[in-house]
Amino acid sequence: MKAKKILSLVLSLLMLLSVFTACGTQAGEPNDTATAPASSAPAQSEGSSEPAKLSGDIIFWHSFTQGPRMETLQSAADAFMKQNPGVKITIETFSWSDFYTKWTTGLASGNVPDMSTAQPGHVSEMINAEAILPLDDLINSIGRERFYEAPLTEMTADGSTYAVPLYSHAQVMWYRKDLLQKYNLQVPTTWDELYEAASIINKGEGGAVFGCSVPMGTNDMMATRYLNFYVRSAGETLITKDGKANLTSQAAIDGINYWVKMYKNNSPSDSINYNVLDQATLYYQGKNAFDFNSAFHISGVEANRPDLMDYIDCAPMPTIKKGDAQTGYETSNIPMVIWKNSKHPEISKAFIEYLYQPENYVPFLLSVPVGMLPAIKEVVNDATFNSNATVQKFNNALNVISNAVGYGTAIGMEYGPRVEAGLITSQGVIESMFQDIILNGTDVQKAAKAAEDRLNELFEAAKE
Amino acid sequence: MNKHKKLLSKITAFSFVLPAILVVGLLLLYPVASSIFYSFTSKNLIKTTYKFVGLKNYIKVLSDSTFISSFLTSLKWTIFSLIGQVVVGFTAALALEHIRRGKGFYRTILIIPWAFPSIVIAMSWKWILNGVYGFVPIALVKLGIFSEIPQFFTTKEFVFATLLFINIWFGAPLIMVNVLSALQTIPKDQYEAARIDGATSLQQFRYITLPHISVVVGLLVVLRTIWVFNNFDLIYLITGGGPANLTQTVPIYAYNVGWGQKQLGVASAVTVLLLVFLLVICAIYFRILNKLEKEGPQ
Amino acid sequence: MNKSKLNRSLLTDSISYLYLTILAVIAAFPLLWIILSAVKEKGEMITNPTALFPKKLTLDNFRVVIEQLHFGSNMLNSVIVAGCTTIVSVIIAALGAYGVVRFFPRFGKVMTRVLITTYMFPPILLAVPYSILVGKAGLVNSRIGLVITYLSFSVPYAIWLLVGFFKTVPLEMEEAAYVDGANRLQVFIQIVMPIVTPGVIAVAIYTFINAWNEFLYSLILINSSNKMTVGIILKSLEGQEVMDWGVMMAASAMVVIPSVIFFMLIQKKIAGGLAAGSIK
Repeated sequence: MKAKKILSLVLSLLMLLSVFTACGTQAGEPNDTATAPASSAPAQSEGSSEPAKLSGDIIFWHSFTQGPRMETLQSAADAFMKQNPGVKITIETFSWSDFYTKWTTGLASGNVPDMSTAQPGHVSEMINAEAILPLDDLINSIGRERFYEAPLTEMTADGSTYAVPLYSHAQVMWYRKDLLQKYNLQVPTTWDELYEAASIINKGEGGAVFGCSVPMGTNDMMATRYLNFYVRSAGETLITKDGKANLTSQAAIDGINYWVKMYKNNSPSDSINYNVLDQATLYYQGKNAFDFNSAFHISGVEANRPDLMDYIDCAPMPTIKKGDAQTGYETSNIPMVIWKNSKHPEISKAFIEYLYQPENYVPFLLSVPVGMLPAIKEVVNDATFNSNATVQKFNNALNVISNAVGYGTAIGMEYGPRVEAGLITSQGVIESMFQDIILNGTDVQKAAKAAEDRLNELFEAAKE
Repeated sequence: MNKHKKLLSKITAFSFVLPAILVVGLLLLYPVASSIFYSFTSKNLIKTTYKFVGLKNYIKVLSDSTFISSFLTSLKWTIFSLIGQVVVGFTAALALEHIRRGKGFYRTILIIPWAFPSIVIAMSWKWILNGVYGFVPIALVKLGIFSEIPQFFTTKEFVFATLLFINIWFGAPLIMVNVLSALQTIPKDQYEAARIDGATSLQQFRYITLPHISVVVGLLVVLRTIWVFNNFDLIYLITGGGPANLTQTVPIYAYNVGWGQKQLGVASAVTVLLLVFLLVICAIYFRILNKLEKEGPQ
Repeated sequence: MNKSKLNRSLLTDSISYLYLTILAVIAAFPLLWIILSAVKEKGEMITNPTALFPKKLTLDNFRVVIEQLHFGSNMLNSVIVAGCTTIVSVIIAALGAYGVVRFFPRFGKVMTRVLITTYMFPPILLAVPYSILVGKAGLVNSRIGLVITYLSFSVPYAIWLLVGFFKTVPLEMEEAAYVDGANRLQVFIQIVMPIVTPGVIAVAIYTFINAWNEFLYSLILINSSNKMTVGIILKSLEGQEVMDWGVMMAASAMVVIPSVIFFMLIQKKIAGGLAAGSIK
């Protein structure tokens, strides 16, 4: 009798245990390979091209969460693993907005990947936190001279380059040819012309299409981006040479006033909360006449409103006065980094180098044609790249953006990489300022000063 | 021998509670202790070195006008949400108790919101009330109630009320279900007796219904107060605290400071202050509850 | 007299029905709208936002969710995590609650107060220490790490609810069993547990729901999409490169419909259980 009871107890305990192990085994991470011998360090000796024996597991975080971009990277990883049987690459993806939370919390808890993509602004924060490795050896091995100069400079601090540019794009002005024609308008070349044109279309369409949506959500950097366009086109910068926020320059005040006016008259009220995706979706759906974005708009429109593909195009950034030099650009050079915590930096390096081989690199770029411009010079002449149908159809866009890439930098990086550039885009301070002006009617000068102080305070705190 | 047995019995008794003590100790006391510790340091989320700064973080937080306004928003958010949830949940339970036919049907429909995870709540309401493509705003215009599309998430007049509405929508069913089952524990003959004595329905409610359910409702209110005050997901997922910080509660503020600005020391100070505040509130609640329990039935 | 009473009850009846009907429409509309939006074709949601019923039914959105996003495995993750959390915390809590009621009754009241206090630690305060703790244990990005953090909110709540139930167990029955030579664990499993089963089921359901709905910890602790719970996958849909409300609604429908059915099936159990426990 007693034995039976004990038996039943043991059995139930066993069941419990099996439940535990069930979640345990499925959850198990292949961490055991950490002890595997790192048999060699390839890609470090310059010019050695014979495949060295690699073994180990790496984790690769990127933020290309869907579609062909994700697939091309996955298939490159698969091919690489086939060539190097000892290597396992685990790819984990997050959207841009989650990415920041992920790596910051990851650093706090000692859980970062081996390699990842990054936002240009984040790279300086990563360097500042001493979280990533200098990659000069890798860049030299790929060939430093093959990269464009500006992106490399953007990722160089104290003489070391910490990230490898993967692709570039620049923000330009997108418009709708059909709408311009309908209202008999020319492509605007100044900010005033843009406002006029947007107002005419907004009025004419009566809510079916908005003139020019102005996104200001605090969970993204969109309002900072829009303000930066204006400020840069006036030859000013949002961060001064000595690393202070500058929202009270005449250009900045004018810019704030300009976008507030645009928001009030030609933008959906909802856009005060918009992030980059909400904003882009509006254009993809054919509900926004003028928008600022990179050539990612092409594939977005293609997916949502293929009927509009013949009516979209882009133009250089408007200027303050007619005939001014077009300088209001923001260029994004999306890089890859290798984390200091990595046990196998040599595998990450070998894999990155592998990604830049034309048979991998060109299909990756073409997964969002025109959207991702090559970081390596000779691709411009690549036959496969140039024979792509979208590249040919949007040749004008390609030229406009290629030209823009050369002029712009990331927001706040006009004077080189700095932590402040990351903070000005990641904290929603400028977005809050816009919301405050619009919803609370706060005086523009006062709001700008308050936001400027707030940013400078954050800059100081980051240096502590 | 006997002593030995006594010791053994002590040990078995203790081993019953040991796992629970371990969980509570490790999973709650450690993080709280570490938060209190960090609140006196300059700890940055992604840096390893930090130094002691004394009360600097607390002074910084308490003198930050954004914190003060977040705290007021939190109070507003908690109080109005709870009043709304209790009123709607309570009246719905009374109405359900009153009707004879269709009880099960209504009851089943009315608990639907409770089954929504916060992310689905956020997505569905953001979609329904969307200022460009949303069903409700556009329908309101078509019905002639508004002349132009009402903006539920972007205007000063609406955004907070919209969030409150969603929170009440979500929270009322829980109150309703619990009040309903408490109502069912009231012996029917008490009403019978009261009716014979000529008591009005209002009197019946005051002297029979309320005393019976006050303890359940009281406990629920305690739990919901804490839950609503601490709630992060709902607001974070719907508005993220915006626009213009109009819906920023203390947990959102702490998140922005700790993750956005990565000032973990300051964020810890915020959460410690939050904890202290809730402790005080709960002490008051327990006072009231004690009184209720003494007055209650049985 | 009789007639006016009848009239009055007719009036209160119709008010009750009207009130409940309005509430029911508000309560059910989001669910309805999620489903209707999910089966509409891409253009229709945008071009005709107020059309209740789709012009043409399509299951394309569901196909994307299942085939491209592999939503099924995320559903399974949620079930595994919530299920493990429930089993583990109910066991720990039942032992603990019984132990306190029987062996340490003097601490009973103090302890429940302490437990309520732990319930009010803001989860946001716990997030960073947890990610460090779980990171040190090597359990980041694992479901087991998630289950452990979930114990932090489920165990105190479960103990607190269960204490009420265990107080209802008559001591005489246990004493009789001791006389028969049973030990404490046997008494607990064979005598006490059957009596409190309804309460335990109610507590288990509450725990399951809370774990199923948890968001913050899984957002921070899980990295691989094949280990994510449904909530996090849904969140990540919002951050896609092309926002697709149809797909988002289809995914939401897949999360919420099973939950609603579950709630409808168990509604009697949760309500009765909680009230019976907390009243005592």
